[in-house]
Amino acid sequence: MAVVSRQYLFGRKFVPVLFLLPGLLLYLVIAFGPSVATIVYSFTDASGIRGATVNWIGFENYDEFMFRGVASRDNIDALQRTLIFMFFVTSIQFGLGLVFAVILNQNKLKGRFFFRTIIFMPVILGVVIQGFIWKLFLLPRGGPVAEIFGWFGLQSEFLGGTDAFWWVIVVQIWANVGITMVIFLAGMQAIAEELYDAARVDGAAGWQLFKNVTWPQLTPAVNTNFLLNIIGSLQAWALFLVLVGYRNGTQVLGYLVYAEGFGQTSGSVTSSFRQGYAAAASVVLFLLVLVLGLSANWFVTRRERKYMA
Amino acid sequence: MTTAATRSRIAQVKSPSGKRNTRRALIGSYVVLAFFSVLYIGPMLLLLNTAFKTLPEFYRDPIGLASGFNFENFTEAWELANFPQYMINTIIYAGVATTIFVITSVFVAFPIARGHVKGSGALLTLYVVALFLPPALIPQFQLILSLNLYNTRQGYIMLFLVNAIGMIVLVNYIKSIPKELDESASIDGCSYPRFVFQVLMPLIKPAIATVTVLHAIGIWNEIVLPTIYLSNQDYYPITRGLVVFEGVYGSNWPGLAAAVLMLMIPMVILFLFLQRHIIGGLTGGAVKG
Repeated sequence: MAVVSRQYLFGRKFVPVLFLLPGLLLYLVIAFGPSVATIVYSFTDASGIRGATVNWIGFENYDEFMFRGVASRDNIDALQRTLIFMFFVTSIQFGLGLVFAVILNQNKLKGRFFFRTIIFMPVILGVVIQGFIWKLFLLPRGGPVAEIFGWFGLQSEFLGGTDAFWWVIVVQIWANVGITMVIFLAGMQAIAEELYDAARVDGAAGWQLFKNVTWPQLTPAVNTNFLLNIIGSLQAWALFLVLVGYRNGTQVLGYLVYAEGFGQTSGSVTSSFRQGYAAAASVVLFLLVLVLGLSANWFVTRRERKYMA
Repeated sequence: MTTAATRSRIAQVKSPSGKRNTRRALIGSYVVLAFFSVLYIGPMLLLLNTAFKTLPEFYRDPIGLASGFNFENFTEAWELANFPQYMINTIIYAGVATTIFVITSVFVAFPIARGHVKGSGALLTLYVVALFLPPALIPQFQLILSLNLYNTRQGYIMLFLVNAIGMIVLVNYIKSIPKELDESASIDGCSYPRFVFQVLMPLIKPAIATVTVLHAIGIWNEIVLPTIYLSNQDYYPITRGLVVFEGVYGSNWPGLAAAVLMLMIPMVILFLFLQRHIIGGLTGGAVKG
């Protein structure tokens, strides 16, 4: 029973709406509009030069991106690499995050808050610091990892060598597994202790408790992590920027968009400010995110129905 | 059915073998944690150690212990890298952008959460889909260019005035605040802006803290946007400054380590104090489904 009808709240009905406008306009102009406009730009030959005329060129950018010459082969490679990156980052980060959460959710474990803190810490530090720390850690001459490799007679140039791509995957997981872990932990802490008690009465222990209580009850956190990891790893590229730069054999789509749009040298070819073309690459990445995100979502809702019914 | 009775029965069920299982699980857990601790603490200790080394010392043995507390790297990096200027820039960007973002967002979040606007559900969706949409990078650049804001502080700040996730956090939190408060404030003749600043904002302080910290951290750590938008060194934020410093003093690892440490310490302190808010913001809503 409302004392005041909604219309007269704060004098006039439109007052809250009036105050909403600045924030909403900012959002539309700075974020939402430009996001959508990426699709429009992908059909033009826009450059990054002020005052240059912009022409409508239809599917030209897409045609060039996918089908023409050496560059398109590199692009397809980058696309495949993006998928490989997504596959390994998502699966390992998901698995490792779950293991950490299970371990650090045990009340009897000493120092569990300390471990949670150190595992989450890199998330706060940002890519520049993450990158520097790992460049030092992976120093090819006399660095700690190189030393350990040496004990086993192994040698690697790490970030400077041919397996740089795989090392970036390692750092990406190291840097972000903390988010996955805390989401799992929050999910586990929401599970009622009575459910475990009841299962124990039925004689369940260890793995059975996890399989029959924790895992099904964790469904919302599982779904969130699954989706976030897929979308996040498809779009991630900043660690490539700070760890290896734009180098052949390591490019992923997100980095390609940046390099084409804002000028970076790739091998011998200097590409610069082809923003229409970069927008097309950006749309390709978006479609990838859309298709994989929607499939993951479909998979996840089906699973949810199974467990939550 | 009392839980006490249940618990004692459980105690009977799990007594001998159960205890052994827990012990084994704990030992296994420590082994896993010991391994990963090396990966999480190791790089940090290496950074700390390197920052206190002299350059010849580092080249003789990159992983040996520093011979003493050599603070020269810090003073050198501070002066050579123009750190005070970059630090001030970062603080300005983060401070101004976060303040504007939080205030304008609360004014957007409140009517959406209360359903005061037609189609508030659709409005919220507008923010949610942002997570999937293509990055705004290129049209955004064209926009800033056409507004003559390329390579300006204002233009750079403008990029950080919105945050879709922050908005969602605010809306969800306001939904948990009872509506009766709006009504009584309104009856008392409180104006709408005064209500928002003096009644609503204190009530949603935890959400505001979360959103503020997350947004400010994002600006503090940003490296791609300053690389794109700022060409004048005087406008560089500290991240960009560090990358430039790295380009010039690329092989001076101790100096770089000291610089990185100076960039890192404020973040670590902030994190240790605000851990609860940061993690709460990241996980809130995520587990409710």
